[in-house]
Amino acid sequence: MKYFAPKSLEELKDLFLSNHDLNILAGGTDVLPRWQDNPSLKPNVLVDIKKIPELIGIKDSETDIKIGALTTVQDLKKSELMKLKFSSIHEAACQFAGVQIRHRATIAGNICNASPAGDLLPGLYVHHAVIEIYGPKGERRVPIHHFITDVGQIALEKDEIVTAVILPKSTESSLFYKLGLRQSMAISVVNFAIACEQESMGTFKTLTIAAGSVAPTVVYLKSFTDAIFNGINADDAIQLVDDEISPIDDIRATASYRSKVIKNVLMHIIKEIYVR
Amino acid sequence: MANSTHTIKVNVNGQTVSADISSELRLLDFLRYELDLTGAKEVCGEGECGACTVVLDGITVNSCLILAVEVDGAEITTIEGLSKNGTLNKMQKAFIDHHSVQCGYCIPGMVLSGEQIIKDHEQPPRDTIKEDLSGNICRCTGYQKIVDAIETVANQS
Repeated sequence: MKYFAPKSLEELKDLFLSNHDLNILAGGTDVLPRWQDNPSLKPNVLVDIKKIPELIGIKDSETDIKIGALTTVQDLKKSELMKLKFSSIHEAACQFAGVQIRHRATIAGNICNASPAGDLLPGLYVHHAVIEIYGPKGERRVPIHHFITDVGQIALEKDEIVTAVILPKSTESSLFYKLGLRQSMAISVVNFAIACEQESMGTFKTLTIAAGSVAPTVVYLKSFTDAIFNGINADDAIQLVDDEISPIDDIRATASYRSKVIKNVLMHIIKEIYVR
Repeated sequence: MANSTHTIKVNVNGQTVSADISSELRLLDFLRYELDLTGAKEVCGEGECGACTVVLDGITVNSCLILAVEVDGAEITTIEGLSKNGTLNKMQKAFIDHHSVQCGYCIPGMVLSGEQIIKDHEQPPRDTIKEDLSGNICRCTGYQKIVDAIETVANQS
């Protein structure tokens, strides 16, 4: 395994031009266990991007915030800005793995790993995160729900990397819910985030819900939220959640349990928001 | 493809070390087999248990999830680096005073996570200690006494 640690995007670009099969390493918390299980997955060329300064830091502007690819989950947990403006993502960071993993795991890693159960993802979906991508052909931006295409699959070319995540600022508030088999170090059985703004008590101006661990990718529960907007009673509307999800049986839970639990918890939380 | 060899220079427990290593060598194996620092243990090998915890540039990490080549230029503290001139530090003493050690396998990681907790929080509530210790698993289930030890040190400082 060849190892490179470029010190700028420019150096990385040169590597892309001279090599055609680079594997990117950020925090490594998902990559290294995979090699442990199956050493043949070790790549021929590994590129450690942690020494590239352009990928570090959270930048606040009037309309959005730009979170550098290497921002760790612990950085998100510690950020007052995240806590204040993007509380679903902040809450997910607080419940994410344990301290040692949070110190290493990065936001871009969680996105590019494209796990259906990735805990940062539902919050990023409801806040309409945009992924900033850099490659020899230039820079481009893709909304997160177009970026993650399937289990472990992302819309990234071999010679591109994620440089940042952009979150447009809004007046919505958001929350994150996670059901795991224990509180810490647990992969979600079901997780979801809700972002909304209320006009008055019981009336939503906006309502977005994204759920994880119930389909190959995180999914928006649009049939349900549309029904709420169309004045359908929440108790009836909740059945529409089944239209969007396609849960499976795995070592953590059965498909029918996932379907039941997401509807029950969602119903409970939506009713609570109504009376808030 | 043949492994590439790299020269790394790291500060481990206050001493500068230079070594030629394979790109595939994990930090945990570098510490245990190249430097003979066997305090950090391999248990799960996938970042779930915290037995391999070390301090990298001031923060706790799982050394089984990091390649040695990644830490070139860094500062590392292992459990062996806590005592000074043969005298245990406060956290180590508290673990002994509270009889926190049973089989001992998880303890180096527990002690280093305890150090991180008192660095991150001023007089942390017991629940905060438990929460921040959640990346370290003890299968003798001696958590009570481990939390007692950390709580005592936290309240002293």
